[in-house]
Amino acid sequence: MSWPILYLLLLKATLTSFSGLSSIAVVRDDLVVRRHVLTDRQLNNAVAMARLSPGPNGLYLVCVGQIAGGIPGAMAGAAAMMTPAFLIVPILARFGRRAENPAVKRCIRAVILAAAGLVLASTIPLARDAIVGPATAGIAIATCAALVLTRIDTAWVIALAALCGLVLRYTT
Amino acid sequence: MPDPGLRSLAGIFLRIGNLTFGGGDPTMAALQRELVERRGWLSAESHGLIYALARVTPGTNVLAYCAGAGWKTGGWPGAVVAVLAASLPSSIVAYLLIAGYQSMEAIPWARAAMSGVAASVAGMMAAGAILLLRPQWREGRRVRSAIVAAAALVLSHQFEWQPVPILAIAAAAGYFWEEQ
Repeated sequence: MSWPILYLLLLKATLTSFSGLSSIAVVRDDLVVRRHVLTDRQLNNAVAMARLSPGPNGLYLVCVGQIAGGIPGAMAGAAAMMTPAFLIVPILARFGRRAENPAVKRCIRAVILAAAGLVLASTIPLARDAIVGPATAGIAIATCAALVLTRIDTAWVIALAALCGLVLRYTT
Repeated sequence: MPDPGLRSLAGIFLRIGNLTFGGGDPTMAALQRELVERRGWLSAESHGLIYALARVTPGTNVLAYCAGAGWKTGGWPGAVVAVLAASLPSSIVAYLLIAGYQSMEAIPWARAAMSGVAASVAGMMAAGAILLLRPQWREGRRVRSAIVAAAALVLSHQFEWQPVPILAIAAAAGYFWEEQ
């Protein structure tokens, strides 16, 4: 896929989300469901590799870009991740006070809630692809519990899950 | 406020943006310590305003924070330097990881390891949704929060609506639906 189109599609995803991973619903809709340039498993790999790297959560866009379009694609992904950040400058310069408006706050809260619903909706196909038996279901549940209940670093969880994958393959 | 200069500004964002694991909040806390407490380049009040606005800016919150703090301390060049310094090195690491994985995908042990990781990512995404919901799960707001999140889930999964219209409807509902 050509990098300008990829940039615009990924930018659409980042401009309509308010945190690193919540853009994934739009990314999946455009690249997996409609244009078939990515499979659910590849999207899953992109998220995993980005979490192994230090830095912001939105980095998975770099990996998505790489899979869809090589080095130019990865650069388009990085650019799409960075671009919306600069919107804060005009907001800061002009509308600094309006962010305190209760209706605007309610509006943003509702968008975050809907994003949570959308993240769950995109989790379902990824989980269907990845969870193939009780052991992989256990890995998914243990990961979810560890991330919600403790402050453990995600990179450790991924490393442990990789180890579990190896143990499962070569001991059973 | 002292003028830090672009080079030292880049140094701070380079170090903290790329070496802190665990997402936005720990990174912004580390930047606050460095920019406000240790160096005095940013007032506590500016930090608070930028932190709040970063959460309402689309995209990755921590990069919006970097752009805002960079702009406040060094104008537009400061904003650009801060965002690039905070995200370019980790973007290169992420690129190398995914490119490396793709070249190893045919190796059986790499595939075995990734089957564990894939299951873990499914759990990680569910955790991400729970962590988005948790701060909104307050007394007096629960029914409303549950309705908005569940409606988005059903419209997307069951009725295959696209995400952008769902988010637009949620924004409108939030704007007009007053809380008790």
